[in-house]
Amino acid sequence: MKNGVISGWSQGAGTVLIALTLTCSAGAQTRRFERHFNVQGKPVITVQNATGRIQVRAWDKSEVMVSGQKASASVEVDTEQVGNRIEIATHVVSENASPDALRADYEISVPTESELQVRSDSGNVTVDSVHGDMSFDTVAADLSLQDVEGYLMIKSIGGSTVCTRCAGRLDATSISGNFQLLQPSMENVRVQTSSGNILFDGGFMNRGIYVLKNYSGTIEVRFSSNDSFDVRATSLYGHVVNQAPVVPDRHKMPPQTPANGLAQSLFGSMNDGRAKVELSSFSGTIKISKRE
Amino acid sequence: MSPIQCAQFERILEEQPDGPLPAPAAAHVNGCTDCRLLWSDLEAIRTAGMEWGSEEVAPPEHLWISLRVEMESEGLIQRRPAQAGWWATWFGTAPRWALAGASISLLLIAAMLATYQTTAPAGKDFRVASLLPAHLSVPGATEKLIAADLGETLDGDLKRVFASLPERNPLLASSLRENLGIVDNLIAVCEKSVRERPNDKMTRDYLYGAYQQKAVLLATAMDRSASEGQ
Repeated sequence: MKNGVISGWSQGAGTVLIALTLTCSAGAQTRRFERHFNVQGKPVITVQNATGRIQVRAWDKSEVMVSGQKASASVEVDTEQVGNRIEIATHVVSENASPDALRADYEISVPTESELQVRSDSGNVTVDSVHGDMSFDTVAADLSLQDVEGYLMIKSIGGSTVCTRCAGRLDATSISGNFQLLQPSMENVRVQTSSGNILFDGGFMNRGIYVLKNYSGTIEVRFSSNDSFDVRATSLYGHVVNQAPVVPDRHKMPPQTPANGLAQSLFGSMNDGRAKVELSSFSGTIKISKRE
Repeated sequence: MSPIQCAQFERILEEQPDGPLPAPAAAHVNGCTDCRLLWSDLEAIRTAGMEWGSEEVAPPEHLWISLRVEMESEGLIQRRPAQAGWWATWFGTAPRWALAGASISLLLIAAMLATYQTTAPAGKDFRVASLLPAHLSVPGATEKLIAADLGETLDGDLKRVFASLPERNPLLASSLRENLGIVDNLIAVCEKSVRERPNDKMTRDYLYGAYQQKAVLLATAMDRSASEGQ
């Protein structure tokens, strides 16, 4: 008798468990999404996602695949294709949802030659091996770019950026975000952050222009003995630490001498002075270091 | 006369922005602090605009064009499909009166930054109004409006815009607030430095940069408030 009760109980529990599993699985199924878009040539992909991860990577198909998962039914993923333009956006459909329920994570595969426009508030954005112009508008989201090439425009409020083996041109601004440019091949770099740090660890290209500016924090550029650049470095209330064997400016560019007697400045050329490097900080430290 | 709510009051303002308030709206504004503040802001803007216009100091057309191009290129504004007027084109299809003052502040700051010349007077009493270039002579009332502190106006606008950010994204709001604190601190440090060394162009450039960042912050907050509210 007892065995019969236990057996009946366990059968009931099993049924409930299976039902729960099926329900959860169905929920997960409805929260997963995958869409495909055939494109020709160079597509333009726009992504707007307030919260969540966005991963974009290049593949060798003439197709854009958008897949991912949303945290709940409180958000909807809208996609639209108009010719070669593909728009992807996360929309909130329930005003009373908790912040965690509004998250959507994306994995987007695009042709190597693609243009991207990404807008995100929080969450990480990563882009891998895409060649084309890109713009990023973020608030707290961190950005990681790898092996990308093109004109890169980054506007962030507090998010940090790591750009590894990036090529082309970069215009980037942030308030408190850090920037790390590792092994870049860029001819034109303009980076400004208020309280963040800036690291430029790579070669300066001939005729390249590199303008790095912050208010506080550290600006560090690393050079090799083959690099050829003119440098102007000024920290109004901070320090300039230099390891480069610079000689007085070969090109006789008039230095912008600050009236502030406390400012530390460095003007000079290394080798033929082919690239132009301008480093300025209000109260931060500027380091010009030799690459190990 | 049935009482009306704040949303209805805003709708009335949208539908008839000029002229006296209808009786129900006037009754509401008397009893609602927020709406009274909004109404007084709009009155101040309207009055300043009329005085500005009456003294014929309309800036040249190219200034507006270059301002707009500059703001678009900086990402401060975005073109939208034309629907109603310029307001809707710039700031979305549903104008939010809560953003009205902020938009005006943004335009003033953009004008200030776009037309700033290095010959700005180096007065001891450093004020934002003194940053306006000499060729942009402004009438008394307008100068008063600007001098009565664009910084304070901006702070008020930021407060209002931040209050309109959706509660469902606390990370967004906290990040914006945290960065506002950073920018305010920079502005304070730079202002102190400019007061100490009024002839140092680099220090002034840093101060302008800090104000520009505050404007960017305001633009971002407005953008997020408008887009997440849709």
